[in-house]
Amino acid sequence: MNKKKKTHVPFRMNMLFFVVFLLFSALIFRLGIVQIVQGEDYQRKIERTEDVTVNTSVPRGKIYDRDGEIVVDNVPQNAITYTRSSSPDTEEMMQTAEKLAQLIEKETDQVTERDMKDFWIGKNEEKAKAKVTAAEWTAYENDELLEEDIYDLQLERITEGDLKGLSAAELEVLAIYREFTSGYAQTPQIVKNENVTDVEYAVVSENLSSLPGVNTTTDWERSYSYDNTLKTVLGNISSSKEGLPKEMVDYYLAHDYSRNDRVGKSYLEYQYENVLRGQKTKMKNITDKSGNVLDSEIITEGQRGKDLVLTIDMDLQTALEQIIEEELKKAKSGYHPFLDRAFVTMMDPNTGEVLAMAGKKYEVVDGKAEIFDFALGNMTTSYAMGSAVKGATVLTGYMTGVNEPGEYMVDEPLKFAGTNPKSSWFNRGGAFGISDTYALMRSSNVYMFKTAMKIGGASYVPNRSLDIDIDAFTTMRNYFSQFGLGVKTGIDLPGEQAGYKGIIDETEPGKLLDFAIGQFDTYTPLQLAQYVSTIANGGYRMQPRLVKEIREPISETNKIGPIAKEIEPTVLNTLDLEPGWIERVQEGFRLVAQASEGTASSYFGNAPYKMAAKTGTAEGVYDGPLKEPNKHEMTWNVTLVGYAPYDNPEVAMAVVVPWAYEDSSSSIPINHYIGRRAMDKYFELKEQKVNEKPTEAVIDQDIVTKTETTKLENE
Amino acid sequence: MNSQQQSSRIDYGLMLILFMLFVVSCVAIYSAQTTGQYGTNFVIRQVVWYVVGIGIITLFIRFDSDQFHGMSWYLYGIGIFLLVFLIIAPSSIAPTINGAKSWYRFPGIGQIQPSEFFKIFLVLTLSRIMVNHHLKNPIKTIQSDLLLLVKLGATTGVPLLLIMQQPDLGTSLVLISILLGMIFVSGITWKILLPLFGSASALIALIFYMVLWHPAILEKYLGVKQYQFGRIYSWLDPYNYESSTGFHLTRSLLAIGSGQTMGKGFGYREVYLPESHTDFIFSIIGEEYGFIGASIVVSLFFVLIYHITKLSLTTKVPYYSYMCAGVIAMITFHAFQNIGMTIGLLPITGIPLPFISYGGSSLMGNMLALALVFSITYNERHYMFSSDQS
Repeated sequence: MNKKKKTHVPFRMNMLFFVVFLLFSALIFRLGIVQIVQGEDYQRKIERTEDVTVNTSVPRGKIYDRDGEIVVDNVPQNAITYTRSSSPDTEEMMQTAEKLAQLIEKETDQVTERDMKDFWIGKNEEKAKAKVTAAEWTAYENDELLEEDIYDLQLERITEGDLKGLSAAELEVLAIYREFTSGYAQTPQIVKNENVTDVEYAVVSENLSSLPGVNTTTDWERSYSYDNTLKTVLGNISSSKEGLPKEMVDYYLAHDYSRNDRVGKSYLEYQYENVLRGQKTKMKNITDKSGNVLDSEIITEGQRGKDLVLTIDMDLQTALEQIIEEELKKAKSGYHPFLDRAFVTMMDPNTGEVLAMAGKKYEVVDGKAEIFDFALGNMTTSYAMGSAVKGATVLTGYMTGVNEPGEYMVDEPLKFAGTNPKSSWFNRGGAFGISDTYALMRSSNVYMFKTAMKIGGASYVPNRSLDIDIDAFTTMRNYFSQFGLGVKTGIDLPGEQAGYKGIIDETEPGKLLDFAIGQFDTYTPLQLAQYVSTIANGGYRMQPRLVKEIREPISETNKIGPIAKEIEPTVLNTLDLEPGWIERVQEGFRLVAQASEGTASSYFGNAPYKMAAKTGTAEGVYDGPLKEPNKHEMTWNVTLVGYAPYDNPEVAMAVVVPWAYEDSSSSIPINHYIGRRAMDKYFELKEQKVNEKPTEAVIDQDIVTKTETTKLENE
Repeated sequence: MNSQQQSSRIDYGLMLILFMLFVVSCVAIYSAQTTGQYGTNFVIRQVVWYVVGIGIITLFIRFDSDQFHGMSWYLYGIGIFLLVFLIIAPSSIAPTINGAKSWYRFPGIGQIQPSEFFKIFLVLTLSRIMVNHHLKNPIKTIQSDLLLLVKLGATTGVPLLLIMQQPDLGTSLVLISILLGMIFVSGITWKILLPLFGSASALIALIFYMVLWHPAILEKYLGVKQYQFGRIYSWLDPYNYESSTGFHLTRSLLAIGSGQTMGKGFGYREVYLPESHTDFIFSIIGEEYGFIGASIVVSLFFVLIYHITKLSLTTKVPYYSYMCAGVIAMITFHAFQNIGMTIGLLPITGIPLPFISYGGSSLMGNMLALALVFSITYNERHYMFSSDQS
């Protein structure tokens, strides 16, 4: 019996052992696959993931004006940063925060109530426990309540009194701690970069060894040499706290930004973000087994962003802003309730370089009148420009073939059935033949009306109703857009407006006549500048631009680096003209400024430079910011376009003063005041610059040219 | 003479294997704690636990098969009591750790997991049942075999349910594997065993099928929790679950894989792996000592099993043979499951690597198991000697 029983055991034991053998063989086999076959892949993966590459940001590029004067600079700022390890030890982080809190002052206004509650629970374990009833604890033990539920209950039941119990010192620790926990692991996070005193900086630097993860570095703040001049056009950048703008996070992340990077939020800073941003320093963090950073090794040295050289002449810009401000104040001393803004844009008509783009806005804030920068209004706001656009009307007449250059037309009041007579300012009653140049000089409305009627296929029969082809609106708008009127100018800034088009109503074909004298569609001051440049340069619509060159960054101050890219003038379109056409308009503009009968001659006739110009006034219903109580008030916009010298234009100008006065009796020639002073200033500064020796930062002198740099590099 | 006799009763081969496991354990734990996840020096604690373990061995080595046979039901009873008391004990004594209520907390000593010891009590009890059954039923029939099966199943079922509700899937699986291992050597006819193991395999296959394709049914009718599926999913496709349930597996594979053939050497680890001193200790070994070191550790377990198997074949006492089978099943399952999960061969369950992972209860349980094996040589010689005399 004993023998029989014995028989099965050894056999079964051997089989069991065989099973064990199979299982262990499977282990060895699998180990072989993982370690020998795939081992190298895993090793490569480690090299990819375990040594984290960190980007540290570099200063943005600077912005200079066309003469090399610095406009936007970077001011170094002491900063205290914290780099969280990839496997953070919260207790150690809290200890570090406590130590750091004793060394620096930290604002606590960013701390949220939730932060405080979490902190309170961490600090007052016993009290937090007491916030939960015995019944709830039992429920927790019976797995009816989860740990999160308990925590939520605790959060809910913390009273304001509890939170008041947190001392100021504790709040400071919390404020620091929350900076520690924000941002990304292994990426330096700014704990404090504003008002870090030298003492704080020094004390923290000394104690770095007892503050794991903390470091002292330099952050950058934008500084503006000309204060608020042109500030709206220069734009803003986000703070390191804001990081990437929410609506564009994905775009920036895809372009290798990190979330706490500072980027251009608006206008120039935004438009030239990829030039100004620079190349980040790439560092490889060497970590120990728990992910703590042991050492950092630079892979590629960063480079600060490239510099922009603007087309703007800051001296001119400042002077123009000053002029506008003074003229606005002067005008406001009289009774002009709606007048609140004025614009001047100056461009080089041959290249499209914007020399100055000034705008000011008068506003009453808390009962106090203040004047704000509104340079942006040059491209973001639009107004009826009046007769200033008549140059485009005349040329449209030629280009459509309805008029011949030099052809005479009768200027007479036009009487249509059911409407008031429409006439020119200078001729309310008579009838006589005038040429195109004369029409421009005296600003004949009737010449323009008749041109528009011809385009619309209508002929004038007194006291009959006007029968105009509605398509003529499209035709005329098409031609106007070739001058830049009613279309985007293409300036290198985001957010440009194209103006508003008047609504075409088939029962009101007379609106085409309004269109022809600039009283139907609205245009931006910048469009007006582009339009007059097109006439000045002989028919080329130039893209206006604010950036002349991009320069390589160099470390020396007072010097500008070699040119990285020169921005070439862009011709957007060319007018389809026959020889002699545009000269008629240029002559008309010259007469406006120089002939005794010209509408601007009393202001420009005696100027030392020879000016060509066109004035404009547009009457319309007030639609400005004080609109609500003044919906039906009539106001007048006054404008002025011009260029000089008339025979070899180097500067084109558009002056726009919307809502300048309420009726013709209260009229003020503020457009002329501003225009004359602005032009004078331009030539005055020009002369000054010719006489003056170039200053220390002038481009011609100190810069290293690109060929020289390449030569140096090759050596 | 006396000392000569005394010393010859010690199983030196087994001692050598145990010593090697001890060395591996200390080196690996030392290396694991360089991550600084905890402030405690676990090597010293592990050495202390080994000393306590040796004490357990010297205590239990004196008992022979009859004594084990005699005390098995008492131990079983104590074990069941401890498991039941765990349920009703207040959380001051039996805290809930990581969602499971499996530990007693003793101030000053630390935590004790009764289920770790129960595994051994179960081995002893099942051995006794089998010996008694074969004595009572000298002639095997299908009926008697079925009866034995029911006895064994019922004896295992009670603690199994108690441990499963803690919940502790790992230890439950250990109990099942002990049962299966012992059924295998119990002498139950193949006519029963084949269908039994066959249907068990089919059941496992069915469960996998359900988890992968129809998890909603399991969730609805069996109350399986979502995270339990996660273990299976992350095992099969760890990289898709890298940030959550697959984290440990992907890190572990990265560590072991990058160790390659030769390993990176002591202290040259690059992959951070939390809890690496306990359940994932094998990842440390694989990374630092490569395929060669890892294979040596696997072989060490194999040699241990071989040694126990050899003992079970030479012993004339059936009780010892069954006991050996139980211990083999237990150690094999532990080692295979633990190593298997670190290299993606099996899903992750919280089972430590015997003798090497840090952990007092687990080491005590395993040392107790070895004490049984040591006692075979210690008492067998004595027994053989006396039997020769008679």
